Amino acid sequence: MSIFEDRFSLGPADFQAVLGAALSRGGDFAELYFEYRAHSSILMEEDILKETAESVGLGVGVRVWSGEQTGYGYTNDLSPERMIKAARSAAAVALTGSAIPPPAVFIPGRPLFGLYGSIDPASEADLGRKIGLVREAYDACRTFAPEIVKVKAGWGDLVQHVLIVNSEGLLVSDIRPMVKLTCVAIAEKGTVREYGFSGGGGRAGLEAFAAGRTPAGIGREAAEEAVRLLEADDAPAGEMPVVLAAGHAGVLIHEAVGHLLEADFHRKKTSIFWNKMGEKVGSDLVTIYDDPTIPASRGSYAVDDEGTVPRKILLIEKGIVSGLLTDRLSARIMGRALTGHGRRQDYSEIPIPRMANTYIAAGPHDPAEIIASVKKGFYAERFTGGQVEDSGKFTFSVSAGRLIEKGRLTRPVKQATLIGTNVDILNRVCMAGTDLEFGLQTGTCGKEGQEVPVNDGCPTLKIGAMTVGGRG
Amino acid sequence: MSAPRPSGVLMDLAEKAVRFGLACGADEIEVGAGDDVEFGVDVRMGEIENLVEAGTRSMGIRVIKDRRTAFAGTSDLSPDTVERLIRGAVRRAELANPDPCAGLPETSAAAVDPAALDLYDPEIVALDPQTKIARARETERIALSDSRIVNSHGASYDTHEGHAVLANSRGFLGEYRKTYAGLNVSLQAGETDDLVEDFWFSSKTHLAELASPEEVARKAVARTVRLLKPRKIETQRVPVIFDPMMTSSLLGFLFGCLAGTAVYQKATFLAGRLGERIGRETINVIDDGLLPRGLGSSPFDSEGVPTRRTVVVENGVLKTFLCNTYAGRKIGLPTTGNADGGGVGPGNFYLRPGPHTPEEIIRSTPKGLYLVRTLGHGLNPVSGDISRGAFGLWIENGEPVFPVSEITISGNLGEILNGIEMIGSDLEFDGSVCGPTIKVAEMQIAGRS
Repeated sequence: MSIFEDRFSLGPADFQAVLGAALSRGGDFAELYFEYRAHSSILMEEDILKETAESVGLGVGVRVWSGEQTGYGYTNDLSPERMIKAARSAAAVALTGSAIPPPAVFIPGRPLFGLYGSIDPASEADLGRKIGLVREAYDACRTFAPEIVKVKAGWGDLVQHVLIVNSEGLLVSDIRPMVKLTCVAIAEKGTVREYGFSGGGGRAGLEAFAAGRTPAGIGREAAEEAVRLLEADDAPAGEMPVVLAAGHAGVLIHEAVGHLLEADFHRKKTSIFWNKMGEKVGSDLVTIYDDPTIPASRGSYAVDDEGTVPRKILLIEKGIVSGLLTDRLSARIMGRALTGHGRRQDYSEIPIPRMANTYIAAGPHDPAEIIASVKKGFYAERFTGGQVEDSGKFTFSVSAGRLIEKGRLTRPVKQATLIGTNVDILNRVCMAGTDLEFGLQTGTCGKEGQEVPVNDGCPTLKIGAMTVGGRG
Repeated sequence: MSAPRPSGVLMDLAEKAVRFGLACGADEIEVGAGDDVEFGVDVRMGEIENLVEAGTRSMGIRVIKDRRTAFAGTSDLSPDTVERLIRGAVRRAELANPDPCAGLPETSAAAVDPAALDLYDPEIVALDPQTKIARARETERIALSDSRIVNSHGASYDTHEGHAVLANSRGFLGEYRKTYAGLNVSLQAGETDDLVEDFWFSSKTHLAELASPEEVARKAVARTVRLLKPRKIETQRVPVIFDPMMTSSLLGFLFGCLAGTAVYQKATFLAGRLGERIGRETINVIDDGLLPRGLGSSPFDSEGVPTRRTVVVENGVLKTFLCNTYAGRKIGLPTTGNADGGGVGPGNFYLRPGPHTPEEIIRSTPKGLYLVRTLGHGLNPVSGDISRGAFGLWIENGEPVFPVSEITISGNLGEILNGIEMIGSDLEFDGSVCGPTIKVAEMQIAGRS
């Protein structure tokens, strides 16, 4: 039983009443999205544990479709009167039809099982234990080198309860955990000051930090980046071969390909890919998936925010456009299957097609061989994010990299933006490594003002030529 | 419609929460509460795409006990939840370390009269949904009537009505109401494989000042079609002219570097530069939280400190950092009334306009880039380094000659402030961070080899 039924005493009669109000003026479909989130955070800086915070988010969003039009109302007061009022606001979009009765019975949906690694749930853990993890990251960062002058370590954990009920009779709930630990280091030498960042987490409990990416490791990584950048030169400016490091560079795939295969941009024909289904747009080495079902990964979910069980989707197969990420609206209008990619920031937002965990598949090349193949180029190692527009022009920002000279990694360089047009870049992928890795489990993607957690991955990749925008 | 009704409910909730916090053992407590009413319509290709209407209430709480701080927030305003969160915050505060700078602001005798700021427009509240839908439709229709526009991301009309209340255990109790209306349209032009896109908008606290559908549509069309058939230029160093939207974006970055919270963390290249010249003599940067009808105005900040007008950079010299109470205590400066949640936020933050028309600035440029849009996140406040994807117009002999895309510009904010050669007269307040056209002596452009 969900928290909404249990703690807020909502039941089928309430769902029927609200859905009935939503369909009181007709319409093709109505849906209720109940959300309860409990968030807790810790901040350590200036060598002290500075503050803790706890917040609760509660609300319901009511959606009504009339043809291709969406009406939406929401409230954070779950009293019957307020929910009915939100439903009537959503119903305003349907002007003509006569009332449609709500479903007589609701059929429980079946979310994926065992996706979240909450062996040790953060929401139930003692705050002192979480503070211990933050201190461990902070101390490892602070003591890494004498050049480290400031450190900031932050913790956040979230448990999000959702319940989706719709006019087709679906009733499905999910409880999604999330943890995140981040560390920022500032290093100083003379008048030069630089910063480094690292983090970890996922849809998991405290066990996410037990092995592999430990808090101390995260602290040291942030410190190492800041210290290294003190000695770094400006990145070069101009067109040159670019090698992307495995892992973090998945953000390039997210920007260059993922967004343009979200179905809303196809329905509206604004994406450069809208008429390229089945066409070859990249080299044979480019095979891209979006997979919301990777256990414990930040972008994963057992059921999407419209109640659809998600699937792993092949987006690009050996350079050929093969798949789209759909939400209910685009699937219905375009006559395509649901893929389970309808997501929303919270109950106050209308769901839209979004990525989950997007990655480019491993290729045949030894990563060392990829570096060795470049006479003079740029090795992009750490990233701060990217952006794309529908025309396919995209950028992504590199915080740290190295020069490649005569097949070897040489001087560290800092701060550069890489820019390109997606089709050009996909065609120029000329080597792909065997070493597929995923990013830091700290990523957030923004679209139409809505932020959702995502993750990306990629192997070492070589792009024959790309514009590198350093300070020269 | 008459003047806004005083709403006792929200104030009662906040005051009750303050009393409860003290009873639970808090030394100090601050409670902010807000009611928000939102309306939004998105129209695309003539049809309503989304119609959103909603009202929400939320509360934010800060508790201090033995100079230790804890925060809480909720959108579930049931007494059970609020009391549970406050009790929890008092308990959690004990887990933090004591911090001599923690605590609520000193009580101030000064207060700003919310009515004098004129932030609430009953006309926005009274505007009926059909009119808003019609204006969004009209905006998109006018834009699409231009044959060069091939597709639309849609037009939106949004209104918002907010009521904010703040109460604290030092006796502060304040409230104000604020309205907002916004209209925007976003367009595409060109062939499928050679699309360009841009948008335009207007946003104001008062309906009478909002740009008409015609103005928004025409400007969006002009901004989009001027980017058609772009070229990629060679890697080089040239003067760069920032259009007002680009100057505003640069000022947003500058604001982050002037925040007191970044100074004590040494997370800004301007830390330690107080009293020094950081830009040319023509540079004056002001944060004015008292601008009548300003989108960034309010009578008090999120700690209840009266807002004010602060000259941050005067004739190129850094005069102060923008602080909340905590950051001010950390770096030995007074709060500037810029508290925003747990951090620091702008009032109306702007670069004082100069004597030149934008046309004059373009005419004065033998060769350079007129920057109209950037893409990406390449801003590093610690070093001031900037590197972003760029779209613009190439200038030769004082005239725009062709659009450029798929290039990057890079530089350093410190160098840019010293390199601003001309400042435009075209400052418009369409957000809380605004600037006029500026010309920067030289920046690095990366393009073709």
